[in-house]
Amino acid sequence: MFGKNNKKPLPSKSKEELPYVKAGMSFKAWREKFGGKHKWRTIRWSVLLGINGLFILSFMFDLSMLEGSLSGSRLVGFYLMDPFNTLQQLVISFYTGHWVHLTMNFVIGASTIFIFYFLMGGRTFCSWVCPYHFLAEWGEKLHNYFVKKKKIKEHTYNRYLRYLFWVGFLLLAFLTRNLVFEDINPVGILSRAMIYGPGLILLWILILITFEIVYSKRFWCRYVCPIGTTWSMVGNLSPFGVKFDLDKCAHCRDCQTVCLVPHELWFVEKGKATSQRHDVGSDCTRCGLCIDICPGNALSYTIKGWDKIL
Amino acid sequence: MEHFDLSRRKFLKSSAVAVGALVAVGAGVGYLQKITAEKRINQKFLRPPGSIDEKDFIYACIKCGLCIQICPVHAIKFAGIKEGLAYGTPYIDVREQACDLSCDSIQCVETCPTAALYFVPFKNAGEKAIEQYDKTHKVDENYNPFPVQIRAMKENVKMGVAKVNEHTCLAALGKGFRGTPRGDDFKGINRTPDGSSAKATPLKDKVYNRKICNLCVTECPMGETAIVLDKHTGADGTEKFLPKVLDGCVGCGVCVMVCPTREPSIIVEPVKS
Repeated sequence: MFGKNNKKPLPSKSKEELPYVKAGMSFKAWREKFGGKHKWRTIRWSVLLGINGLFILSFMFDLSMLEGSLSGSRLVGFYLMDPFNTLQQLVISFYTGHWVHLTMNFVIGASTIFIFYFLMGGRTFCSWVCPYHFLAEWGEKLHNYFVKKKKIKEHTYNRYLRYLFWVGFLLLAFLTRNLVFEDINPVGILSRAMIYGPGLILLWILILITFEIVYSKRFWCRYVCPIGTTWSMVGNLSPFGVKFDLDKCAHCRDCQTVCLVPHELWFVEKGKATSQRHDVGSDCTRCGLCIDICPGNALSYTIKGWDKIL
Repeated sequence: MEHFDLSRRKFLKSSAVAVGALVAVGAGVGYLQKITAEKRINQKFLRPPGSIDEKDFIYACIKCGLCIQICPVHAIKFAGIKEGLAYGTPYIDVREQACDLSCDSIQCVETCPTAALYFVPFKNAGEKAIEQYDKTHKVDENYNPFPVQIRAMKENVKMGVAKVNEHTCLAALGKGFRGTPRGDDFKGINRTPDGSSAKATPLKDKVYNRKICNLCVTECPMGETAIVLDKHTGADGTEKFLPKVLDGCVGCGVCVMVCPTREPSIIVEPVKS
């Protein structure tokens, strides 16, 4: 979670050990030939649009497949609950002593989704399901374009701000006895707008995305969203993730430029890796952008422990 | 060390901004909730059946939309930011589409994952009714406790109470009604009280012809336990009529939806909690 690392780094690789030299190519030709694929992005966007589309179709044609919205839903009769809503309600219930809403469906919904995303890697939700992530990815492209053209400057903040917001929103829920975060949650707002029809509240989404485009890249996902923070905590011990092979890495750092959470890829920098293999930490959304862009296939999906057995 | 100090200062600075933002959001939302909770009591919107006390409802509801999705007549809607309710909470605007109680099991309450719409009282009422029914009908050939159960559950819905405006009510003015009550482009649907057709009938397809208007009485899904047309003789010897709301009224709002006057002559006042 905090990316702490006290081990000594391995010595840097010699020139002969770099993958493009081994392949007998120049770095530029090698990178152009093998890098920049879109395999996982295509799969991921299909899944994301598919899930959100299923929500929309279920309401439109009364399909009973995936009902509700991303705040709480029912998958073929089986309840699923948003984890941060669950936490907020628990916190408020401690205060009011009104436990009536802890129904069986609530418990089933909260624990099912917890177990599912624990297995799938926590923040997998962000890049594979969250509609705001999809929107923000396009915003990021625009933002990068403006930065490249030197129209705007990049503004970054400390990523631990998320934990402050996480505690802060829970505290607000406790103090106001209200699901405060749900009122401004772009995930819920977008999900509801898509399924049940748009409303004036979409102005808030517009403000957010504009801020991300013109001021700070991926501001909400990186520094604020407590849902992502919750999933990042859940994903700490997840078996599913992205692994890194030092052997195949040319230290081009292309992966860091596409990554939402580049600090999790600290080991791709020259002379930083402490072992031949690294697992990407829990802030990783398992989006696969780094896997797609890596020319040497140094990054790949893995189930921790599984490849050791094989 | 200098670098560390710089990044720490930056972190503290952005933290201060974050805390400020949180306080602003909290204060704003808290204030809005306070005024809307007070306002809701006096406005035309109803919460769906089985909703718990408003101050608990506001946090028990996670705004998932399952109740909206499951309602067969789409009576329940999401509050936008201009409805004056907490954003994203469900409400029923009975004038546009009333909850006609034609469903099989008050599904909106049953489906609520967080019991903001609390199902236990409905379940108990239904079970109690079956128990009563069993005592007398156990050996009956046509044993079927289901209608009794669903009737008991529907009696347990208490969204509000209807109130007649004597000054504009057609019956009170001694007038009849002929035609479709809400015009040809009205979108609301209504399949009570007979419920004979499986599909909901749009109100615009129904034609009435009454000497004395009594649509609210005949269309009421709860029947004569909720509303009757009261007939009495006035001081000058003429017959006077007035719909009379009884204890059985659950506030479903069908009467409001079918009322043919421009402004509804009958309204539902939300239950005060």
